[in-house]
Amino acid sequence: MVADLAGRTRDWFRERREKLDLFDETLVARQENPIYLLGPLLYYFWLITVATGLLLMIWYEPTTTGAYSSIERIQHDVPLGWLIRGLHKYGADALITVIFLRLWRMYFLAEYKKPGELSWMLAFLGLVLGMISGITGYLLIWNQRAFWAAKVVLTTPVYFDELPIIGSLKFGSMIAYVFLGGPAIGQATITRFYALHFGISLVLLILVEVLFFRTRRKRMNMSFLPIVLFTAMLVVITLILPAESGRRADPTRTPLPILSDWYFLALYQYVKYTPPLWAGLGPGLLINFGMLVPFLDRSRGRRPLERPFFFVVGVLAVIYFLAFTALILFNIAVIDRDPFVIMLITLAILSAAFIWELRYRRKQRQRPPAQPAAPARAAAAHS
Amino acid sequence: MDDEQQSLFNRRNFLKLVTTVPALGAIAALVSPLLRFLKPNVERFQIYAPTAQDVARGEAISVAKLSEVAKPWDFKYFVFSQKYPQYTPEGFKAASVPGVVIRLPSKLKLYDTASGRGPLSWVRGIGKTPKVTETDVVVFSRICPHLGCIFNYVADYREVTSGYGGFVPPPNRRHALMACPCHLSIYDPADSQLPGRVLSGPAPRPPRTFLFEIQGDDIVVTDVEPGGIAKKKDAGGMA
Repeated sequence: MVADLAGRTRDWFRERREKLDLFDETLVARQENPIYLLGPLLYYFWLITVATGLLLMIWYEPTTTGAYSSIERIQHDVPLGWLIRGLHKYGADALITVIFLRLWRMYFLAEYKKPGELSWMLAFLGLVLGMISGITGYLLIWNQRAFWAAKVVLTTPVYFDELPIIGSLKFGSMIAYVFLGGPAIGQATITRFYALHFGISLVLLILVEVLFFRTRRKRMNMSFLPIVLFTAMLVVITLILPAESGRRADPTRTPLPILSDWYFLALYQYVKYTPPLWAGLGPGLLINFGMLVPFLDRSRGRRPLERPFFFVVGVLAVIYFLAFTALILFNIAVIDRDPFVIMLITLAILSAAFIWELRYRRKQRQRPPAQPAAPARAAAAHS
Repeated sequence: MDDEQQSLFNRRNFLKLVTTVPALGAIAALVSPLLRFLKPNVERFQIYAPTAQDVARGEAISVAKLSEVAKPWDFKYFVFSQKYPQYTPEGFKAASVPGVVIRLPSKLKLYDTASGRGPLSWVRGIGKTPKVTETDVVVFSRICPHLGCIFNYVADYREVTSGYGGFVPPPNRRHALMACPCHLSIYDPADSQLPGRVLSGPAPRPPRTFLFEIQGDDIVVTDVEPGGIAKKKDAGGMA
C-alpha cells in the first residue's frame, strides 16, 4: 500500500511537472493577450533586480553604523548609483506587482486546476519568498520605517509560544531569535538579513536554471518590444521618483504611523485589529489556504461564474487587500468597532456565496448533460 | 499477483519502513546541531527554549529628579541601558530600554508587603523587595508589550483621539494617556487597580514597569520587569 501511494504520488508529480509553467506561459492558446506577458515579465524583473543587487553589493556596507550612510552615498555620490538603486527598488516593486497580478489571473481563470496545481503552488511560494526577500532587503537601508517593520514582523512569531501543546516548545521565540540574531535588532540582524536577502534569490536562480536546462524551456517568452518598454518604464520612474532613504533608524523613537512596503500594508492593518496570536496565525492560515486552493476547489467549471464560491472569495480578497491598504494610509482604525463589522460583512457575504454555489450546482444537475465549452488552453502544446 | 507475492511485497515494504525510520532519525540527530549554529547560546540538547543568557541586564541609574516631575501629569522620558547577547563575533551589545516617569494626581498602591500582591509583584521573582510601595510616581518601560514598538506619553487625550485611530476614552479617563503608534494600543497610566491598563488595541497586557527607589531628590531605577515582548502577565496582575 505504501508503494502504491508512493507510485501514485510520483505519477502525480510527473504529470504536473511536464505541464509546469513557471515563466514562459507556453501552455496558453491566446498568447497575443497581454495578460500572458506576466510570466516572462516576472522572470525579466527578477533578473533586473538580481543584476542591480549585485552592483549595489559593491558599495553597500552591512553594518548598523555604516548602512544608512552607504545607501546615501550610493544615492548621491556614486556615479549612476541613483540609477542602479532605483532600478533595484522599482524592479523589485514591479516583480511583486507582477507576481500578484499573475496569481490573480491564475485564480480567476482557474489555471490552478489540473494540471496546473504545481504551477500555482510554486507561483504562490514565489510570492511568499518574494515578500520575505522584500522585508529582509528593506531592513538593509536601516531607516526608521524598515527598522520598525522588521521589529514588528519578527516579534509576531513570539506569540506562537502561547499556542496549546506545541507552544511550550518555545519554537516561536526560537524563530524570532534565530532571525534577529539575539533578543533585539542589531548588527547580528543586519548580517543575517543580508545573507537571506542574497541567498533566497541565489538558490532560486540556480534551481530555475536547472529547470531551464533540463526542460529546454524558453527563458523569456516575449518579444523585444515589451522588454524595451518595461525597461524604459523603470528608468523613467527612477528619474521622476528617486528611491527614498527616509530617516536613519532610531531604536528609541517609533514613527506615527508605522508603514512598510506597499504590499505589507494590508497585513499591518490586519495586525491592528486582531489579538496578537492571530497576527501571526492569520497570515499563516492565508498562506496555507493559498497553497491548498487547487485541492479545496472541487468545482468542475473554469470560468469565474461556474464556481461562485471561490469567485466570491477571490473578489473579497482583492477588495480587502485594497481597502485595508487605504485604511492604514489614512491611519483609520477604530479597534472597538471595525473588526466586528468586518467579521459580520465577511460572514454574510461568504454565506451568500455558499448558497449561490449550492443553487448553481442544483441547477447544473437538473440540466441535461450539455457541457460548457472547453477552456481556452492549447491541448497539445507540451505533449 | 497471488497471495504469496503480495505478502512478499508487504514484507519488503515493511523492511523498507523499518530501515527508513532510524535512518531519518540519524539524519535529524546529525543535522540538529545546526540549530546551535544559528543560536549559539542554547544548551546542548535543549535547542528550543530561549536561555537565561538571553535575558538582558542593566545598571541602576538616576532617571529624573523629583522636582522635575513636581506637578500632576508631569513626565520625563529617559533611557535605561541594558546588555543583551548578540549572535555576532563581538558578543554582547548594549540596548536601550526607553522609559517614562509620570507624576500622577493621586497615590497608588504598587505593592502590598504583607501579601506580595500588586503591580510590582514581579519584583519578588528577581529576589528583591520594593522599597517604594505606595506612590504617585510611576515608571513604565515604553516598549509596547504587543510587538515591541516604543509608545508615547500623550499629555492631551484629544490628541490620542485625533492621532491614534479615533479612540474616545470614557469620561472618567479623560486625562493624559499612553498610546502606541504601531498598532494603536492605548494605556491608562493612572488606573488605580492596574497602572497601565489597556484601554483599547491589541496589546495583551499593560506595559512593563521599572523597580525604582527615591534617593534624596533622585528617582533611581534599578531593574526592569523581565520578560520579552508579548507573554501574558503572570498570575497576580490582571485579575
